[in-house]
Amino acid sequence: MAILEINHVSKFFGGLAANSDVSFAIEEGLIMGLIGPNGAGKTTLFNCITGYYPPSRGEVLFKGRRMNGLQPDRVCKLGMARTWQKVRPLAKMSVLDNVMVGALCRTNSLKTARAVAMEQLQVVRLDHKAGFLAGGLPIGERKKLEVARVLATKPVLLLLDEVMGGLNPAESDEIIRLILDIKRHGITQMVIEHDMKAIMRISDRIVVINSGEKLAEGSPEEIVTNPDVVAAYLGQE
Amino acid sequence: MNDISKKSAEGGFSTVGAVAALLVLAALYAFPSFVESPYALHMMILLFLSTIMGESWNIIGGYTGQYSVGHAAYFGAGAYGTLILLQKWEIAPWKGVWAGIAAALVLSLVIGSICFRLRGPYFVLASIAVAEIVRLTVLNTPSVTNGAEGILLSDLPPFKIGETVITDFVSKVPFYYIGLTLALLTILATWGVQNSKLGYFFQAIREDQDAAHSLGINLSLYKNIALALSAMMTSLAGAFYAIYIKFIDPTTVLPLDLSVQIVLIAIIGGIGTIFGPVIGSLVLVPLSEALRSNLIAQGLINSGLVKEDSGLGVFLKEHLAHAHVLIYGILVVVVILFMPDGVIGFVRKMSARKR
Ligand SMILES: Nc1ncnc2c1ncn2[C@@H]1O[C@H](COP(=O)(O)OP(=O)(O)OP(=O)(O)O)[C@@H](O)[C@H]1O
Ligand SMILES: [Mg+2]
Repeated sequence: MAILEINHVSKFFGGLAANSDVSFAIEEGLIMGLIGPNGAGKTTLFNCITGYYPPSRGEVLFKGRRMNGLQPDRVCKLGMARTWQKVRPLAKMSVLDNVMVGALCRTNSLKTARAVAMEQLQVVRLDHKAGFLAGGLPIGERKKLEVARVLATKPVLLLLDEVMGGLNPAESDEIIRLILDIKRHGITQMVIEHDMKAIMRISDRIVVINSGEKLAEGSPEEIVTNPDVVAAYLGQE
Repeated sequence: MNDISKKSAEGGFSTVGAVAALLVLAALYAFPSFVESPYALHMMILLFLSTIMGESWNIIGGYTGQYSVGHAAYFGAGAYGTLILLQKWEIAPWKGVWAGIAAALVLSLVIGSICFRLRGPYFVLASIAVAEIVRLTVLNTPSVTNGAEGILLSDLPPFKIGETVITDFVSKVPFYYIGLTLALLTILATWGVQNSKLGYFFQAIREDQDAAHSLGINLSLYKNIALALSAMMTSLAGAFYAIYIKFIDPTTVLPLDLSVQIVLIAIIGGIGTIFGPVIGSLVLVPLSEALRSNLIAQGLINSGLVKEDSGLGVFLKEHLAHAHVLIYGILVVVVILFMPDGVIGFVRKMSARKR
């Protein structure tokens, strides 16, 4: 069953169509890769899906429910959570407190939130930094913090926006393992990533967008052999 | 990774801290038994008043990061609410204060529901504007507020429980204890906020609104809660001020000056910390008293730094007392440049560097 349906979504900024008439669906439990050149409109699509701004046209259905007009906090409460490409640590709060904020989405008890947060920090292997200020973390650990924090909100659908961006190969490998681990827990994911090897490895299906439009959709094998994709995207690399 | 980036264990009390706190508390409660000087008691009462105001503002400004520069409106609501009921209908202040709190609550919800739709500097500007509107309204409805003449409290009824008179309010001592208790309550309330879901959400909003929003936090709801709490606590300070000073008018309880002063208490001490406003009060209350009584100009002359009959000496003696706005301005610049996290942040950084 499709957990998320994107139907004819467009987003205009003045005259610029950052997304135009994008449609696809994500099956429950799978990993959907979302790729495209810089400025293709990937982050904009995440923003439209999660209520950061309303789509100019089209609709988003999450678990069959129309999401248009819902604020980001409602979206999160309904079980769809996203990370930010440009990480947004709560700088003057500790790493543990950052993750607790996420956990408090589901509980009023600080004790429960602390336990959940500690657990998620262990999952991303950041528990040894629990007491540090989030603002002082290096980029690799900030990305992990983003992931731990959204996991603490107990999502059923997770949208990851370039969580491997700026990481070294060892750190990227760790994130890949983490994403596969999250999948094993039954959480559906949509992953934006520029690293082709990584995206091919983790994705069950891939959507390619270019200049705001959907260019192709298919299995990783279908995508790498699609001539349009090779021309528009892979050719540039 | 250095020590500074480690979070201090604030909120969790150590044994040494607890013993020290108890000693300070005992000393504060015993103070009037040893010190009879009305001036000393008056200074302490001003400290308590400043602490109440600073802790109150800290909830919305320090923890939630929404800089209100219109808190005089809530202070005035508490002061006018309490004193109008007392003077016109002889309703005892411990009952009348609830009207003041309610007025502040309503005012904060109106301001919040309008202003928190906007982000950025709009809230600051709107808070100033609304406070000015409140001041002008009070000024122009003399039938209720006595307008520019203000309200002079002629008679403060004794506080009785049953038939027993607890206090008749003739000395400053009862005010000392009321002030101390209210100050402790606001500190306790702040501690409660910091150690609850509210505190986490407030700080998340301060640090990054978009991140907070995406983590399930209803921004306008929690900003309104923060402002409402802050406003009600501030109105307590206003009510206390009114029955202590026994005279209020728009220029003493509703001016922009006061709003700015309230902001400074927390900023100078260290915003978003439990004891920042206490430290800020310990800096600001003596400073403004020294300015008011011309202590600073006299000190400069007495120390021989400035000759009394020189041009500068005469100038300082005449004008320094009126220059508190200028001095506050300089203080803010110094704090922002050299101690962006206030005195508390500065001390923490220094002690971390030493280690
Ligand atoms: N808030 C905005 N206002 C105006 N234009 C915007 C806004 N957000 C994005 N854009 C524009 O929309 C287009 C798509 O941007 P978007 O960030 O979605 O690309 P992306 O695919 O995520 O790129 P990248 O791989 O670099 O992250 C770009 O041309 C960008 O400049
Ligand atoms: Mg992007």
